[in-house]
Amino acid sequence: MDVIQTQGLTKYYGKTRGVEDLTMSVPEGAVYGFLGPNGSGKTTTIRCLLGMLKPTSGEARVLGHKIALDGAAERTRIGYVAGEVRLYEHETGHWHIDYVAGFRGGRGALADDLIERFEFDPSKKVKELSKGNKQKLALILGMAHDPELLILDEPTSGLDPLNQESVYDVIDERVAAGRTVFLSSHVLSEVERVCDRVGIIRTGRLAAEEDMRGLLGKRLRHLEIAFAEPTGPAFLADLPGVDSLTSVSDRVLKARVKGDAIDPVLKRIAARQVDDIRIQQASLEDVFLEFYRGDDSAPDTAEGGEAL
Amino acid sequence: MSWTLLRGTLHQRRTSMFWFCFSLALYSWMMVWFWEKMGADYGQMLENYPQEFLTLFGGNEVSFASMGGFFQIEYLGLMWMIIIGAAVVLFACKAFSGEIGAGTMELLLAQPISRARVALTRVVAFIGYAVLLNAFTFVPIQIFGPTYDVKLSAEVFWTVFLLGLLFTMGIGGLAMLLSSMFRDSGKPAAIASGMLLLFWIADMVANVSEAAEFFDPVNLVTYWQPGKIINGGSADAASWWVYGLLTVVTLAGCVVVFSRRDVA
Repeated sequence: MDVIQTQGLTKYYGKTRGVEDLTMSVPEGAVYGFLGPNGSGKTTTIRCLLGMLKPTSGEARVLGHKIALDGAAERTRIGYVAGEVRLYEHETGHWHIDYVAGFRGGRGALADDLIERFEFDPSKKVKELSKGNKQKLALILGMAHDPELLILDEPTSGLDPLNQESVYDVIDERVAAGRTVFLSSHVLSEVERVCDRVGIIRTGRLAAEEDMRGLLGKRLRHLEIAFAEPTGPAFLADLPGVDSLTSVSDRVLKARVKGDAIDPVLKRIAARQVDDIRIQQASLEDVFLEFYRGDDSAPDTAEGGEAL
Repeated sequence: MSWTLLRGTLHQRRTSMFWFCFSLALYSWMMVWFWEKMGADYGQMLENYPQEFLTLFGGNEVSFASMGGFFQIEYLGLMWMIIIGAAVVLFACKAFSGEIGAGTMELLLAQPISRARVALTRVVAFIGYAVLLNAFTFVPIQIFGPTYDVKLSAEVFWTVFLLGLLFTMGIGGLAMLLSSMFRDSGKPAAIASGMLLLFWIADMVANVSEAAEFFDPVNLVTYWQPGKIINGGSADAASWWVYGLLTVVTLAGCVVVFSRRDVA
């Protein structure tokens, strides 16, 4: 069964495009990464799925229900964490948790567990919380009732790496328990860590849909290697999947390595003495370029794409 | 209606509700006290005022030397309207557009509650607030009145209380409707306050110039004549109809508009 289905979903704000002709489906038990640059239509799509926005055309179904602005039934089974966390500044974490629990027939089974795992102090007022702690509270509010479908809009923004990992662990556990996760993000590593299928949205349209293995195959890495002895670009030039080779100095090389080609590259490098090496994951923008390479219909990546 | 949302709404407005209600009770107590101290001299003092000035403030409608006139010019005809207007416009603008602008409406609408229930609950909270504001205005007059020889009959009390309540809900209903249409609280607050100010100025101009009387039938302030009621007169039937219809139409309108609009 598909937990989320959209058919030609289109939303315009006046003349401004939010999302256009979006058709996709998310099967039960999946962790679906919804990937795209800022302004690409991720949040608009999520708001349409939650009945906050009325589509200009097309339709969305969540958990089998067609979404309507005034609907509420399906939201008993959905947990949502907004990308930009907005809470009642003068109220405490406890107040928020009880307030949300009031709509859901009681305090969620996971509330106390999540409070402990995120090391969150619910006695403080929201105005006293840091951005990261506000994000933790939003996660607790969205996940405490153990929803069948978790919709997370950039859930780890503002969290330190330890807490990010806690969020990923909670997501893993929910998925193991048969829940479905729809995760919007513009952070490739986050999507890699938790998702098993990815939809890439760009300028309001679904540009591609891939399983994680396919996306990883298109992964790009930027390497900068400082050798102990002079080394020219020819040292790596014959390896498959290596391009953009440049010499920074007579001992330092820069290269771009595609997908699974990293292993032979590292083995070749290991044949010489290395003073330093830096490996940087390519930006989402580069992954897009890879997707559109050789495709005449590819959109201009400079358009609307702030650096990711 | 949702009890959770009702409790949450009243909890979040508790500070402003307390201060508005406390201020009104204090003001009402001061007015009955002043009437005892100044009542006898008030008529004499007014004789020194230019007739045009008294007419501007509605002197043709009610004698300012009477208790009703005193309460109308010193309290219920101006300051009370300003306090009540500020209270209900602030409440109404937070009810919908304020929450949308602050982003907290997204948290609320992620919960299993329909738009119609959200709007209806906010309307119920608003009506409760309007009742409180009027109770804290008129009950202190009844409580403190006997101490200062100010007596309102039960009929006068209930008439002025209920008409005041309808006036409050009419003005507030207009602000609620505007609030349901916008995505931040600034515009509906400015429009509702501007309309109230316009009504008040037009009412004063109409008191001295026939040219402005054409505006009276749609002027919401014109129908609020507490001085006449306190002096033992009855409220015009038109007042009940205008405020009653305005309340029903605007509050129903805000539920319909909020149930059908984009929230983001």
